Amino acid sequence: MIEFLSRKIDWLDVEYWFYLFNDLSLLYIILPFFILELIRYAFLKRLSKNLILDSIANVITFGAFFTIEIILGILAVTKLYFWIYENFSLPHLELNWATIICCILLADLSYYWEHRMMHRIGIGWATHTVHHSSPHFNMSVAYRFGPFDAILPILFSLPLVLLGFDPILVLLSEVFVQVFQTLLHTEIIGKLTKPVEFIFNTPSHHRVHHGSNRQYWDKNYAGILIIWDRMLGTFEPEKEKVIYGISEPINSVNPVKVFFHGIARLFQKLKRISGFNNKALAFIKPPDWMPEEQTNTEKNDSKSD
Amino acid sequence: MFVSNKKRMKNSTLLFRSLFFVILIAGSAHLVTYASKTRANGANSIENRVFLETSLEKNETGSRSEEKPTSSEKDDLTGTWKVNYNMEDFNGAILYKMKKEGGNYNAYIIEYQDEDGYGQEAENTKALTITSFDGYKGQGEYRVTYEGKTYNTDCTIEMVNMNVFKLSYDFYGYSDVETWKKQ
Repeated sequence: MIEFLSRKIDWLDVEYWFYLFNDLSLLYIILPFFILELIRYAFLKRLSKNLILDSIANVITFGAFFTIEIILGILAVTKLYFWIYENFSLPHLELNWATIICCILLADLSYYWEHRMMHRIGIGWATHTVHHSSPHFNMSVAYRFGPFDAILPILFSLPLVLLGFDPILVLLSEVFVQVFQTLLHTEIIGKLTKPVEFIFNTPSHHRVHHGSNRQYWDKNYAGILIIWDRMLGTFEPEKEKVIYGISEPINSVNPVKVFFHGIARLFQKLKRISGFNNKALAFIKPPDWMPEEQTNTEKNDSKSD
Repeated sequence: MFVSNKKRMKNSTLLFRSLFFVILIAGSAHLVTYASKTRANGANSIENRVFLETSLEKNETGSRSEEKPTSSEKDDLTGTWKVNYNMEDFNGAILYKMKKEGGNYNAYIIEYQDEDGYGQEAENTKALTITSFDGYKGQGEYRVTYEGKTYNTDCTIEMVNMNVFKLSYDFYGYSDVETWKKQ
């Protein structure tokens, strides 16, 4: 076993495998599945103009996000990653099966935390709310991104580079987790077998994550393995029928509005908050946070009203 | 919106559980790499011993059919070396002049040759630096040109015999082994 795990692997092979799953899956799984979903919508008489325009908006937000990601990737991420890898990391790990498996597992755990932070801090939710704002749930929603969605992952994957994993392997593993997650955005697949549902993140678990039902808020952050949620106290099974979207719907399919609505809402909130310190806190405190004194004043105002 | 119905896990519990998994997973990767390197070093030392013993046996019996480096020769990489390339953008050979400068060996490009052997003088650009060399194996830095840009990458060399060594490098996904022959 150790012999297999420690067998050195050629970089070209690794890049080829990741290319097959990370890049080509769009052609052989995601697009065919999306077409299948559209047929299903038509069959169920749910194929509406809103759904089509929403899907188009999703793809457009992905274009904008991807542009930011490319600029960040080329200008900063690779250089920062390699600088840290060359100067501060633990001894560099060989490219073998153990390294690849461990890197994907850690990329998955880092995704869990990054995703949790996206929901739990103001600036994170300002960008990630875009992904959750669609009232539909299909493969195209997986491509619905906010403007800063690429930034938090950088912070959370840097520790992997510090631990001695090659930056390129870290980036490939992150994309692998993201692509796995993409495949979960569907209503077609019901619940899978119990062992699979227990260990892996599944469409059922991810539907819960997108639910606006009260008990589904801030649950099932996982990428590949749902066991992270089970062990870190954020797991919720799918019981009640899921109502997709956010608590304050945007009711728009305008891609510009979709892409920037989270940031716009954060600025509106900042306007309402008094004091520089409180404004700064709004970026890192939970999205529903308001300074205590203002919460009390607002409560009193509403009482006197 | 963001308050859970259930009792929330303590931050310290979240931290310790997460750290436990990070240490467990990253530790496993390091252990496997360590085991692999230890095994490779063991294999190399056996290979070296066999190589040395074979050399000694041949010297004792007076057999010198194949030249092996002597202690004074084996440490010396200086001289002119030729490498043949058969790539899309270059099909021919490059001549390098290896010099010992300070504690390092530096190889400079002195001539480009096309596939028919016609040479063109080069500008003496430094292409390789060997920072450590024990007579059989060494390591250093190789300058790789990719899409018109030059990058430095770590490399290793391994003597095949006193007139040939293999240079290996891995440039982020592109790995190659070059055969350097002494002229």
